[in-house]
Amino acid sequence: MPLDTSTYNLALLRVDGRRWNELRRIHAQIRTQAAADGSSYLEMGHTKVMCVVTGPSEPGPRRGVAGAGGGGGGGGAGGQSKEAEVVVNIVIAGFSSVDRKRRGRGDKRTLEMQSTLSNTLAATLHTHLFPHSQINISLHVLSQDGSLLAALINAATLACVDAGIPMTDYVTACTAGSTSTYAANDEGADPLLDLNHQEEQELPGLTVATLGDSDKVVALVCESRVQISRLEGMLAVGVDGCKQVREILDQVIKAQGQKMILEGTVDKGTGLNDMDLD
Amino acid sequence: MPREAEPSLNEKQFVLQALQDSVRLDGRELEQYRPLELTFGDQYGVADVTLGKTRVLAKASAELTVPYADRPLDGIFNIATELSPMTSPAFEVNRPTETEVLISRLLEKTVRRSGALDTESLCLVAGQKCWSIRVDVHVLSHDGNLIDAACFAVVAALRHFRKPDTSMEGGVLTVYTPAEREPVPLSWLHSPFCVTWSFFGEEGDIAVLDATWMEEQVRSGSCTVSLNQHGEICQIAKLGGVPVEAVSLLHCTNVALVKAKDMSSKLDRWLAEDAKRRDKGGLLAELSAENDRVPDM
Repeated sequence: MPLDTSTYNLALLRVDGRRWNELRRIHAQIRTQAAADGSSYLEMGHTKVMCVVTGPSEPGPRRGVAGAGGGGGGGGAGGQSKEAEVVVNIVIAGFSSVDRKRRGRGDKRTLEMQSTLSNTLAATLHTHLFPHSQINISLHVLSQDGSLLAALINAATLACVDAGIPMTDYVTACTAGSTSTYAANDEGADPLLDLNHQEEQELPGLTVATLGDSDKVVALVCESRVQISRLEGMLAVGVDGCKQVREILDQVIKAQGQKMILEGTVDKGTGLNDMDLD
Repeated sequence: MPREAEPSLNEKQFVLQALQDSVRLDGRELEQYRPLELTFGDQYGVADVTLGKTRVLAKASAELTVPYADRPLDGIFNIATELSPMTSPAFEVNRPTETEVLISRLLEKTVRRSGALDTESLCLVAGQKCWSIRVDVHVLSHDGNLIDAACFAVVAALRHFRKPDTSMEGGVLTVYTPAEREPVPLSWLHSPFCVTWSFFGEEGDIAVLDATWMEEQVRSGSCTVSLNQHGEICQIAKLGGVPVEAVSLLHCTNVALVKAKDMSSKLDRWLAEDAKRRDKGGLLAELSAENDRVPDM
């Protein structure tokens, strides 16, 4: 079902009525699960994910796939190591997308996303503070409408903040794309921010995750064919989008913090007296 | 599960400190590849790639099957990656490690999803008969940078491969043996190559190409870029690891393009050399009754 992207040139509006640099609505909550160490719920447009963090805790029995091997970054280093192991588990609900697909445990795409998340968080969390332990992050995908990896990274960041695991800064992610496919070699192609499912199917795009306010890229995943000249524009728009996402997530965390202080769930820390609570 | 022995603290520090001064253990420049060599087998579609001490063998094969029900007009194309215990004790049979999953995903994205092989041309009778092309990747020796070597081997094997010629006449499909008709090459659209960067240090400011196994064990992040010689990115994978400035990632992709073009021309040259070696004048030469002349006594 080809999507008629050509109308973009007429009105400069995308299929869902956004401009090129607009994010979809992001709604996020933290502390959604009372029993968990940390939890979050995140919606980016119609993509909805839940995240639960347990740990840092004593490592459980060794699982089949994780850890060992070699190659990759600082992800799964094993229970005996000096750093906490970040174990990520993603469950994609059968009802999450339009066509009901059963994905087994061994689905390579899911495994790759798990490994990406684990390596992304391991680089940001201060895992060296928790030797011989394990941080379990389980993510549930309730609804998919593009930018799945980005939503998962954002949800995991929120849940880790909620769990109180020390980390360098927020890791925020979003997607960026480019109008017109790789075959059309027009120079006037506009970059697009935050692709939905339809756009993701049709246009080249990438997912970028950055650290806090900086331009530092923690993860960059591009799975489509695209002219090398388009990369710069897409990356710039993506990094900028990550900063916008960071602001939104920061507000969510601060709002929750204020609420908890006002409710008396937590004590107002020393030095927080001058903080404005309205 | 057996684990690879990690390098000692001394070794790690030595490698890292040397890299701070832009010196590598084997004396290469930071952006220099190890010597890349390719040997084709006697059969079509066998490519043996060595990159320093890393050695990867890829073998392409074809068989006739029934296409998938949801894609009646497409042939089947699979890449199977196997890391056997022969490579390293950390790899076990029938239990894919994370490395293996990531390599096969990367190869799949680079070669299959980028449309390097035209799968529609593999279909013979819609919904009934098609070619199933399979590439088996065997890692024979692991000294780092498996991805680049494996990708090069896969592309070389597929471009070298010849499948039996076929014809359709009056609804009858005939597959010819190599003796009846010269086998035909696959319909190949573009050649993507993987270039892997490794990042070192807390800040990730040292970027190195073609890391050895030692360097891979101490690196803090990596980024694999796949490109073809036309300057099209087929895939980028920086799956976590140390944060790197966006600008330096852009620089990395530009350097990667140069390397990919270099690999592309090397492969073209080796394929041409191999074709020349195999060309004995075709069927006509084979059918001639003339014997090789024996020098006069």
